Amino acid sequence: MTARFVRDAPIDARSAPVAAIAWPLRWRRAWFATPAMSALSLLLLALFAFACVRFFDWAIVRAHWVGQSSAACPGDEGACWAFVIARWKPWLVGNYPIGQIWRAWACFGAFALFWIWVVRRPTAARPGPVLLGFVFLPVAFLLLLIGGGPLAFVAPSQIGGLLLTLVVTLSTFATALPTGLCIALGRRSELPLVRALCGLFVEGMRAVPLLAVLFIAVTLLPMFLPHGVDVDLFTRAVIAFALFNAAMAAEVFRGGLQAVGRGQIEAATTVGLSRFATLRWIVLPQAIPAVVPALVNIMIAVIKETTLLSVIGVNDLLGAVEIGAKSPDWVGESNILTSGYVFLALAYLAICYSLSRYSRRLEPSS
Amino acid sequence: MIASDAATIASVRASGEPPIVQLQAINKWYGDYHALRDIDLAVNGGERIVVCGPSGSGKSTLVRTVNLLESFEQGRVQVCGIDVAAHAITRAARLAVNRRVGMVFQQFNLFPHMSVLANLTVGPVFGRGTSRAEAHDIAMHYLARVGLTDHAQKRPAQLSGGQQQRVAIARALCTRPQLVLFDEPTAALDPEMVNEVLQTMESLAADGMTMIVVTHEMGFARRVADRVVFMDQGQIIEIAKPDDFFERPQSRRLASFLSRILTH
Repeated sequence: MTARFVRDAPIDARSAPVAAIAWPLRWRRAWFATPAMSALSLLLLALFAFACVRFFDWAIVRAHWVGQSSAACPGDEGACWAFVIARWKPWLVGNYPIGQIWRAWACFGAFALFWIWVVRRPTAARPGPVLLGFVFLPVAFLLLLIGGGPLAFVAPSQIGGLLLTLVVTLSTFATALPTGLCIALGRRSELPLVRALCGLFVEGMRAVPLLAVLFIAVTLLPMFLPHGVDVDLFTRAVIAFALFNAAMAAEVFRGGLQAVGRGQIEAATTVGLSRFATLRWIVLPQAIPAVVPALVNIMIAVIKETTLLSVIGVNDLLGAVEIGAKSPDWVGESNILTSGYVFLALAYLAICYSLSRYSRRLEPSS
Repeated sequence: MIASDAATIASVRASGEPPIVQLQAINKWYGDYHALRDIDLAVNGGERIVVCGPSGSGKSTLVRTVNLLESFEQGRVQVCGIDVAAHAITRAARLAVNRRVGMVFQQFNLFPHMSVLANLTVGPVFGRGTSRAEAHDIAMHYLARVGLTDHAQKRPAQLSGGQQQRVAIARALCTRPQLVLFDEPTAALDPEMVNEVLQTMESLAADGMTMIVVTHEMGFARRVADRVVFMDQGQIIEIAKPDDFFERPQSRRLASFLSRILTH
């Protein structure tokens, strides 16, 4: 036995061995490792298959696709996609005048281009794309949709459906994010009054349901306005959304600001940066990218919250379903309403799932 | 301007000006804990001061009061001609002091979202309004001095600990400080990286920069310090030249401290 070991020739690097387990074995290990796991796998598979078959049967096999009235969908057996297809306009744009509908298409198109060319790029979190998406686009959309001047004026209450969801979501973000950031900074202020008011606002908004905020905005806001000034329902709803989500965003920003360590601020002080310069160049550039995924989650919540607008009488997607099912042509079978709700769910699923995939990609770990 | 570093510093020292740092009867409490007790210390231009002492003795707090990162309840600090009493520590005073004093931290505290070069230029450009071109030249000059010219475009996270601390030293120098504070600059480093940082500091000392260094590196203290300060329990126990400090400690506490750290 030698007491001393000295390596005389270093070991050369070798490539890693190729995974040698064949797929049937891997598959069996993953699904049927033990009898109990096998039983659970089979049970879940059976349930899933059963649900898929029933849904496929309802949604495809027995579905009615063509028609202009409830006569196209006799019986309660299958889905009534004819209802969805015939009423495409309320779904997409609400009561927007058919002669001016190119303006709505322009908005959808601009947003689709923005999504494809800007948001999906790795540079999307930079200030330029963010300003374009959350400030320029909502303002441009509102100007284009409402019109005035050379364009014919369209009352905001005529905007509905998916277009409303898009406009409300973007306008909410354009106002709620800056407000939220200001409130988050206000909660760190040295002035006790500013700190207290910002804290009160956030805690108050977080403790009240959004629906209550909406009703308050709709019914109470006119009392605070001078006589003769009337703010339409659409604007009131957007104000309520903006205030509510500003409180949510403020909490998210607060987390991001707190995540920037004291050492960073001290270092910024020692290189001679003022408080504002420290915020602008050291704190915010670290805090904001860290909270982008959480902000996208707020955006997903806002998109889903737009369904609440139908409760106060604004014509969003949900409102379009309910009004459609009550219209004389489509009164009757209950599967008409069900089909509408399923379509609604699928539409929201598509939008929110793609957003959530996007936010997953933005997370720093990936 | 860049070439004349040593000359400027030497001329300041020769002119017989008042001390660059003067702490007078500083007292600080953390709640009920008396962290600094009657601290009096004067540092002349060009002097290298090493502060040592057991952990919790207030060394870091002491250097952090010099640039007002820590407030204090009694006493006054005069730094680079700015006179601040305990009750007058305002943000403006802190900023004014920090535009004349550089600091190097134990944890480097580099800005992780910026390149090395941007770390060096952000202070001059957005703090004191130096032009970008000039700030860039100054930054490259000091990067060359710490031997990291090739790493200018990297992020701090791509560098080793020793390289990061050298960047932090260069960043402190880029603000053209009259005095640089070091708060345990090698304490967070792997042993093999301590020397590169100490050598950078020694070359800075050789240029005549005024430095106050909190460190446990006694070899550095012997080689570089003009005076060594020993602190314990928030008080300055002994100040001496390195030879006297290490060979002829006058106080019992220093003797026992030295026997504990120099035996291994």
